[in-house]
Amino acid sequence: MHQLQAAGRAVRAMAEWAKQLAGIKGVMLDISGVLYDSGGEGGGVPIPGSIEAVEKTRLNCGCYSTHAHVDMSTAFAMIKASGLKLRFCTNETQATRGKFVAKLQRLGFNILVNEVTAPAPAACRILKERNLRPHLLVHDDLVPEFDQLDKANPNCVVIGDAADNFSYKNLNEAFRVLIGLENPILISLGRGRYYKETDGLKLDVGVYMKALEYACDVQAEVVGKPAKMFFQSALAEMEVEPQQAIMIGDDIVNDVGGAQQCGMRALQVRTGKYRPCDEQHPEVKADGYVNNLAEAVDIIVKQLHK
Amino acid sequence: MAARRVLKAVLVDLSGTLHVEDSAVPGSQEALKRLRNAPVAIRFVTNTTKESKRDLLERLKTLEFDIAEDEIFTSLTAARNLLEQKQVRPLLLVDDNALQDFRGIPTNDPNAVVVGLAPEHFNYRMMNKAFRLILDGAPLIAIHKARYYKRKDGLALGPGPFVTGLEYATDTKATVVGKPETTFFLEALSGTGCKPEETVMIGDDCRDDVGGAQNAGMLGILVKTGKYRAADEDKINPAPYLICESFPQAVDHILHHLL
Repeated sequence: MHQLQAAGRAVRAMAEWAKQLAGIKGVMLDISGVLYDSGGEGGGVPIPGSIEAVEKTRLNCGCYSTHAHVDMSTAFAMIKASGLKLRFCTNETQATRGKFVAKLQRLGFNILVNEVTAPAPAACRILKERNLRPHLLVHDDLVPEFDQLDKANPNCVVIGDAADNFSYKNLNEAFRVLIGLENPILISLGRGRYYKETDGLKLDVGVYMKALEYACDVQAEVVGKPAKMFFQSALAEMEVEPQQAIMIGDDIVNDVGGAQQCGMRALQVRTGKYRPCDEQHPEVKADGYVNNLAEAVDIIVKQLHK
Repeated sequence: MAARRVLKAVLVDLSGTLHVEDSAVPGSQEALKRLRNAPVAIRFVTNTTKESKRDLLERLKTLEFDIAEDEIFTSLTAARNLLEQKQVRPLLLVDDNALQDFRGIPTNDPNAVVVGLAPEHFNYRMMNKAFRLILDGAPLIAIHKARYYKRKDGLALGPGPFVTGLEYATDTKATVVGKPETTFFLEALSGTGCKPEETVMIGDDCRDDVGGAQNAGMLGILVKTGKYRAADEDKINPAPYLICESFPQAVDHILHHLL
């Protein structure tokens, strides 16, 4: 009886945000913590149902058959031509976008490099525009993303999720570059606090960004979620307006809060770094909370077919 | 200023006030002797993250200062007291030299985090360990929050940036135990039976020594030795009670005007 009541409440609660879905033309997905949990030997583990959920989103566009091996570029063209747009928006900076997408493909996800908005390519554009020569405090695997840039005699610091490269020595080197600049510029690829890997929660780039901000009395420029510019560029790639898009992520502040600031709707999934206290967050309230991506996509697809 | 009670206690900073590295500030051993003849309690207070009490005492003895171990109160002592008070088992991110000041404190299965200056511990693995403990409710205790310090090879990050990072990661505030925290000055007085308004503090750090002491209700005397730089006195409001060339002049002022 109690179970039935609880289930009833859940359906009603689901219905609340689902009712607001009219006009949705695009779905934006966070990757880590939504599609898969990173870490471990294979580079991560898919979250149950998420591979199928991505497929379902594509199918809903009436794009293509998922049977066997659909040619990727054809699939991409078909999605582009369809109604519901799909885009991936990540703060992943532990690998180049190309390598990252290849890993996701290996894990079984149907995803293409040019469907992904990521901080490093965005930062590269900014650095070029402003003639900045970066000192990099990033993961070794991200370095190739900056190959085209002049890095001699640096006049700014770019910090990403460097993980094990966040040693005292490396942080101190970045600090010395910054403190030695007349006009210190710190560019941070995201401002996340932590993320979940298969072996537990790990500190994210925001923590070290804050450390450098405090040490040098500077304010970092954030490239990545929750920066408005970052969401806007992802929306531009999708060719939809903010109010026509819904963001699905596991980070209440950076995914949900950031997307809402930009005028989008946003759902939080109860996977990845999600913690129950997120639902009582003092500043950010998601438009809806769902158990996982599969559930979110189920509801969206059903609602749009009504 | 409101009428003050008679002076009963003097707090003295060590590094930069009684000595600069391995040399004593000229005349300060003699000045300390003069001060000891006056009816005041004396405590030596310092923000240290690397040196244990024993290290400090050894250096002071070499420089021929007459100081007893139980007269020294350091930020490490303050951290230790707090751990005992809270009855917690710390993960100690402190320099190996400082570990002996925590001898006897259980550290198995930690449920608290203490951050001092420990470059060798500030790696990603240890920071993650500290982070997870704090997220599970362990209190974060900072010896102090200095941004950076000067090393032979140039500037180097202090504990402050790492404490700030952990605060951000866990959405908590660290309990800072060293100067300029009011509790530090009050704890240094405990055992003397004296009150803050009966106390004067002498130091070379305008914010941490003088400002901190004055915020705790004491008088603060700034000496122009150690890390003192011109116009440091403008950094705090209200201004220091007094500015002196060095420790001996501060003692003379106390003996002639405050007793």
